[in-house]
Amino acid sequence: MNHNPVNWGRPSDDQYGPYNYQIANASNVASQATKNSQNEFPTMHTQQPMITGASVVAVKFNDGVVMATDKLGSYGSLLRLDDLERMIQVGDSTVVGVSGDISDFQYLQRLLDELLIEDNYDMEQSNLKASHVHEYLRGVFYNRRSKMNPLWNACVVAGFDADGEVFLKYVNLLGVSYSSPAIATGFGAYMGVPLLRQKVENEEDVKKLEKEDAIKLVRDCMKVLFYRDARSWDKYDLCVITKSTKKIEFQKGLECEGQSWKFARDISGYGLPQQ
Amino acid sequence: MTSIGTGYDLANSIFSPDGRNFQVEYASKAVENAGTSIGICCKDGVVLATEKVINSKLLVPGKNRRIQSIDRHVGVVYSGLIPDGRHFVNRGRDEARSFKSIYKEPIGLQGLIDRLGYFVQAYTCYNSVRPFGINAIVGGIDSKGPHLFMVEPSGTYWGYYGTATGKGRQSARAELEKLDLPNISAKDAVKEAARIIYLAHEDNKDKDFELEVSWVSKSETNGVHQFVPKELFDEAVKYAEEEQESDEDEDESDEGDEEMA
Amino acid sequence: MQAQNTLLNTEYSTDAQTEPIEHRFNPYQDNGGTILGIAGEDFAVLAGDTRQTVGYSIDSRYEPKVHDVGDNLLLSANGFSADGVQLVKVFQNQLKWYHFDNNKEMAVSSAARLIQHMLYRKRMFPYYVATILAGLDEEGKGAIYSFDPVGSYEREQCRAGGAAASLIMPFLDNQVNFKNQMDPESNGTKRRPLKYLSLEEVIQLVRDAFTSATERHIEVGDGLQILIVTKDGVRSEYFPLKKD
Repeated sequence: MNHNPVNWGRPSDDQYGPYNYQIANASNVASQATKNSQNEFPTMHTQQPMITGASVVAVKFNDGVVMATDKLGSYGSLLRLDDLERMIQVGDSTVVGVSGDISDFQYLQRLLDELLIEDNYDMEQSNLKASHVHEYLRGVFYNRRSKMNPLWNACVVAGFDADGEVFLKYVNLLGVSYSSPAIATGFGAYMGVPLLRQKVENEEDVKKLEKEDAIKLVRDCMKVLFYRDARSWDKYDLCVITKSTKKIEFQKGLECEGQSWKFARDISGYGLPQQ
Repeated sequence: MTSIGTGYDLANSIFSPDGRNFQVEYASKAVENAGTSIGICCKDGVVLATEKVINSKLLVPGKNRRIQSIDRHVGVVYSGLIPDGRHFVNRGRDEARSFKSIYKEPIGLQGLIDRLGYFVQAYTCYNSVRPFGINAIVGGIDSKGPHLFMVEPSGTYWGYYGTATGKGRQSARAELEKLDLPNISAKDAVKEAARIIYLAHEDNKDKDFELEVSWVSKSETNGVHQFVPKELFDEAVKYAEEEQESDEDEDESDEGDEEMA
Repeated sequence: MQAQNTLLNTEYSTDAQTEPIEHRFNPYQDNGGTILGIAGEDFAVLAGDTRQTVGYSIDSRYEPKVHDVGDNLLLSANGFSADGVQLVKVFQNQLKWYHFDNNKEMAVSSAARLIQHMLYRKRMFPYYVATILAGLDEEGKGAIYSFDPVGSYEREQCRAGGAAASLIMPFLDNQVNFKNQMDPESNGTKRRPLKYLSLEEVIQLVRDAFTSATERHIEVGDGLQILIVTKDGVRSEYFPLKKD
């Protein structure tokens, strides 16, 4: 006995068999379709990032690179993780800054660690340079996008190449890559890069930028991003890669200093007029 | 030779009536005449060393490395058929990689050797394969401290404070037993390892050899398996040579005493 | 609870259930930029701007995309830059194997046919690029081959590809192939006869084409990279373009 009154008085399945939804091309086949959803739909891969990291900002100076990433992991608009480190050192010549999906970032971390272990099998000095790491990541990203199953990230690879020269190059989920004296991912590309380019428009300008000025420049970018990018944060890590000393140094847990929100009062034009 | 196996040695997976697997025993023969390899467990690490027999003057010194890494914290040295050893090491690397990918932490030595022992044993069970012609000494550091194991062609493995395999294994083991293992320092272990390899070479004196020493130690290498630095290596060789000379002197004087008597 | 069920579980209740909304991942992107190849009697040039863009953003002002791939061949694939980079990379690898297998240099006509195969085998998921190959043919004459994204190709005297192709191509028709030019003597009855341009004339044409394209197209600018192939090998020149 079917106790649902909606079904009372209908031809029962055990007497007439199940209803054939194909009759008259009935459109209400969703429940049927869901049952076989695995056959009905093409394989679905990542279509959007989940927990995300915001911009990576990096700039070359006359003796290396400065790079920064904030410590926030957002779940949509929720502050989900508050102590993230999104820059990873790979060997003694490379730092990779990663924005986008955090689980994909952790997967990349694993791949790069395996790469490093393989590089160390011969127990000779490390041969893995920043240019190699970049080309490896480009391959990984491009192959995954070609399988329509992307790793949802944009990376900045910084360090030294095989000739010991300073290296800075971008690569993202599509396998698109480029180098430039000033690089930023995400919102940083809109709000950070113009600030960086005021100082370093080309390689000639790089020779004129001192380390301290580069650090200040990147820190200013992080502050502007905190002002304007809702998914950024005022706590961040900074990395300085120096060619003359061959050193990679991290300054972890920095905060945006000298914030001033006075400008906010003068902003108008987004909605109702202010009093 | 044919009379020894009497037909029971023609394949793996066949026992002789008295319960022996001849193919496995023959594999051990391949090890017995190879260059000596040793492993020493010290206070906070492991030292591996091998006697590389030089069979051509054209080989570049220092180029043909024999000690290998399985993971950052695990080293291997083996005596026997080198390609078999390479295959064994590759399997170890796969196991270490898969463990790390699943559990994030580096594989433990006991866990690794379990898997490798199982792997080697499998090669004694099937007609299509032959057993590994190596004795592999696997050493490293994990969260429980230093460990040293040796795997035999049968798949048997034991944990050791110190072990040796290859042609000079008897004299090497005798020397290892005299050491205060595992209470010596890593640096001392390196020197002793060099001395023991030089001593074990006496069994193979007509051939040239090259020494190779690696170590993995908490205090000296921060838990990473590496070749020993050049200065320490040279120091160890010097020590080994001096000890050998003094031994020879003693022998000579001993012989002199006998004559006197 | 029962009451609620009764209300919800109607004959029409399933109608509201539709297929899930699908946000499809887009594997392509337009990275702007323009390339241009012109063949002369004993030389060929292949030029491209060095700007790389996405939308209104300039990603890089100097990311060269014309490549000297060896064997006196120049290759550029313009459009979706990841595909362009990959195509050149795969081609260089194929070229290496061609040397191993055949122990000779690859002729420009063979390279062109090879590129057709590389593009066509991805017919159902194409490399989203306009491709131009430049080199010298068996007689030592300049050769330009141009390809569409799925491998259709032909040899031409000149070809522009990429963002500003439609701006440059008519200019090239007029200035290289003398289209719509008449012999002044004939009072507009005879076409101006074709002739090979000198290298200096060609480089000036290329520079003019790119300065004009830079004025009219936002995705073109920053720098102009010109690679020139002659029997003596490949050399390159660089000229700045407007950065606005």
